[in-house]
Amino acid sequence: MSRPLPGPTVRGLEAIVGPEHVITHRDRLLAYESDGLTAYRVAPRAVVLPATTEEVSKVVELLHGARIEIVPRGAGTGLSGGALPTEDGVVVGTARMNRVLSIDPVDRLATIQPGVVNARLTEATRPHGLYYAPDPSSQSTCTLGGNVAENSGGPHCLKYGVTSRYVTGLTVVLTGGRVVRLGGAGRLAADGLDLVGLFVGSEGCFGIATEIEVRLLPLPAGVRTLLGMFDTMEAAGHAVTAIIGSGLMPAAVEIIDKATIDAVEASVFAAGYPKGVGAALVIEFDGTEAGLDEDADRAEACCFEAGATEVRRATSEEERLALWRGRKKAFGAMGRIAPDLLVQDATVPRTRLPEVLARIAEIAVEYDLTIANVFHAGDGNLHPNILFDRDDADQLERVERASREIMKLCVSVGGTITGEHGVGVDKRGYMDLVHNEVELDMLRRVRSVFDPDGLWNPDKVIPPVASGSPAEAAAEAVSA
Amino acid sequence: MTATAPVGELVRPASVEEVVAELARARREGLGVLPVGSGRHVGRAAGRQRWIALSTERLSGIEIYEPADLTLTAGAGTPMREVSAALAANDQFAPFDPPFVLERSLGGLVADGASGPLWTGYGELRNHVLGLTVVTGDGRVLRLGGRVVKNVAGFDLIKPMTGSRGSLGVIVSVCLRAFPLPAEDRLLVLEGADVASLLDVARGVGTAPVLPVSSVIVGGALLVRLHGAGSTVDSDQRTIERHVGRTFTVPDAPSAGARLARARDAAAAADTVLELSVRPSRLPDLWPSVAEATPSEAVVDTYAGRVRVGFETLDRAAASRLTEAAERLGGAASVVRSSDPDVASAGSRPSDAEELLTGRLRDAFDPDGVLWPARR
Ligand SMILES: Cc1cc2nc3c(=O)[nH]c(=O)nc-3n(C[C@H](O)[C@H](O)[C@H](O)COP(=O)(O)OP(=O)(O)OC[C@H]3O[C@@H](n4cnc5c(N)ncnc54)[C@H](O)[C@@H]3O)c2cc1C
Repeated sequence: MSRPLPGPTVRGLEAIVGPEHVITHRDRLLAYESDGLTAYRVAPRAVVLPATTEEVSKVVELLHGARIEIVPRGAGTGLSGGALPTEDGVVVGTARMNRVLSIDPVDRLATIQPGVVNARLTEATRPHGLYYAPDPSSQSTCTLGGNVAENSGGPHCLKYGVTSRYVTGLTVVLTGGRVVRLGGAGRLAADGLDLVGLFVGSEGCFGIATEIEVRLLPLPAGVRTLLGMFDTMEAAGHAVTAIIGSGLMPAAVEIIDKATIDAVEASVFAAGYPKGVGAALVIEFDGTEAGLDEDADRAEACCFEAGATEVRRATSEEERLALWRGRKKAFGAMGRIAPDLLVQDATVPRTRLPEVLARIAEIAVEYDLTIANVFHAGDGNLHPNILFDRDDADQLERVERASREIMKLCVSVGGTITGEHGVGVDKRGYMDLVHNEVELDMLRRVRSVFDPDGLWNPDKVIPPVASGSPAEAAAEAVSA
Repeated sequence: MTATAPVGELVRPASVEEVVAELARARREGLGVLPVGSGRHVGRAAGRQRWIALSTERLSGIEIYEPADLTLTAGAGTPMREVSAALAANDQFAPFDPPFVLERSLGGLVADGASGPLWTGYGELRNHVLGLTVVTGDGRVLRLGGRVVKNVAGFDLIKPMTGSRGSLGVIVSVCLRAFPLPAEDRLLVLEGADVASLLDVARGVGTAPVLPVSSVIVGGALLVRLHGAGSTVDSDQRTIERHVGRTFTVPDAPSAGARLARARDAAAAADTVLELSVRPSRLPDLWPSVAEATPSEAVVDTYAGRVRVGFETLDRAAASRLTEAAERLGGAASVVRSSDPDVASAGSRPSDAEELLTGRLRDAFDPDGVLWPARR
């Protein structure tokens, strides 16, 4: 149970943001106990909701002055427990920092507060013929601050790249409340290390981003969407390799397996997949109208060559949304067939997808679990989703063992333990699969460049120093 | 091309272990270490203390190239010419075109971190460096990233490494993302009497509803480059022409190649080279200051808002005036090269906060201060 904050601290926070924006009541704190990874729950001591950079700075100054830990929080859709509170900490949420500060249609830039919801930015820029490219599947709720902290991706990042490619400048509040401006679109020529790039993906461990400058793109004039059906995941995986290998540049290539299709078809989201389909691919091309049909024809041919049984093509926006429905509603549909869902995340070199998927299917059988795959295939970014019931202790243990097995598998073929959801608390235990102790120590040192006192989102990303390791001896020597 | 101070000693380690050993020796003997790739783009090396140049030349060769994955891993010393040839054999390319890119080494390209005109269409180099193996100043070997296109397993140390110019560590191996060669690569040319009027057209190109892969003013012409399927490029050309109300010419391949090479390399070999940047819409405001300084050559990346200017001679006052002009417009300037140490320090200064963070990062990578003695 978290200790309540001392009265003077609460009053100090209230004086900065207003009493209604400091949450200390137990019932109201419940909403902040976890993020999208609900297996972990910790109630914070308080939640503070500032509205401006200045307020964030003062809040941080006050809390850090009292040596109280801070956990930044956006919309809480994270899937690795990144925004999970700590017992001794206070959550600083960006919910009220939801203003689009400026849109510059000539330079194609926007400056926003971190609590702006991803999809809202594109809504705001659409009248200028512009949009913000990275589109996490959670884009209707997740915030740009969260996207920056996780370096989030999305289906269309295959062609357009992930968040870090679009963030040109940041205002950040660092330890003690120091406000620092990093980068800026006009300052490309400035000498120095890429601190903006380093901050992106820092998972709330370096500070809070309070203003974000991003690059916008012209809205694509046209789009073509295909839905390819296959008997097996392996065939679909081969189609992915063939499409990318042919030199085509699809905007998105998403894969949906049989377990997911069955879940979708059994739900209110039924997307009209034929019975008995083993896997489906959603393939999209966008850009200049001319050339799109050609691209779609070539992708279709790749699908048939890989053994597709059917390829559907959308000719209207309505049909396009229908083809995407199975993909977009997958999580909602799965939520209905099992009490709990663990959304796993890992990346492998694209060409290894077929063998990795085959092995994941074996792992599901070995551990007697249902694993449903729906993911960003073009990037080799897997999401094996494990369905389970948290009240079943034996099953829970199998979920954990299967997860580790999958992570090891992905690493063994040259992949990694997370492609876009971040390490948070959930993947800390797998960090030793991809980093040796020297590298983990380096991550600790870089963290303390920004957070020398360990007051930003502690216990995330980097595993604790292994007991008995030389690093532990060194750490003890320092603290002694 | 280094500015001052003769190289004390050139060492050419052939393995990661030898790199570690050289760094250990440097620490023992109190030598500074300047990592060099091809050695052509070292920039402002200076300093009176004893130092060695550590060449990555022998850390050369392609290690893993899986064309279907569009990723290539090679030793830092691998010449970009070799990387490009290997990619081209599979109809792929690395869309990075800073000056003289083919004469650089892969590791040098990454350490320098500079982007060229293709930045517009493909993004910065640092977004396409998927993995690095690095030896820190105190001899620790770090494998950063990997060879997958999406990877968030820990903080992104590849970003500060890219463009660190040897100040954080010696890059010994690089995994780079490759791209399919476009079916059509078309250059649109618009000759113009003066840069100001070309900038006006460029502004139209920059707000057209299609995105070219580069847009540059050099040698009295605006060059707009399009990549894509033939029919796509035809359509994009029409869209741009309609949008700006001008008709471009399309030169034949050899002369397009020559123009592109000029767009890439212009001004970069001059005695003094400055780079200025502002938001693209401020370029017309910056240009008069550039023109007034009478550079021997200039190239304007109109989409990035970047200007590279070369001078046969430039004094400190003139360099400072250019820096101030860029900064007044919310931009920045950097002296890429100068034989005059006074001029070399005339670029924009990082803020105190940035300087503090940068200093701490350097300490984390190079606690004994062995690397790149001239820039600490
Ligand atoms: C159904 C579903 C689909 C998803 N699909 C995708 C997908 O396609 N691609 C993808 O990448 N992710 C996806 N996610 C994961 C998640 O949506 C992203 O990680 C998202 O970026 C989190 O944003 P958030 O605002 O919810 O952040 P939170 O969950 O609140 O926080 C995430 C992390 O960011 C930190 N943080 C938040 N705001 C700030 C700030 N202003 N400054 C510094 N640190 C901050 C927090 O401390 C935490 O560590 C999905 C999640 C769900 C539930």
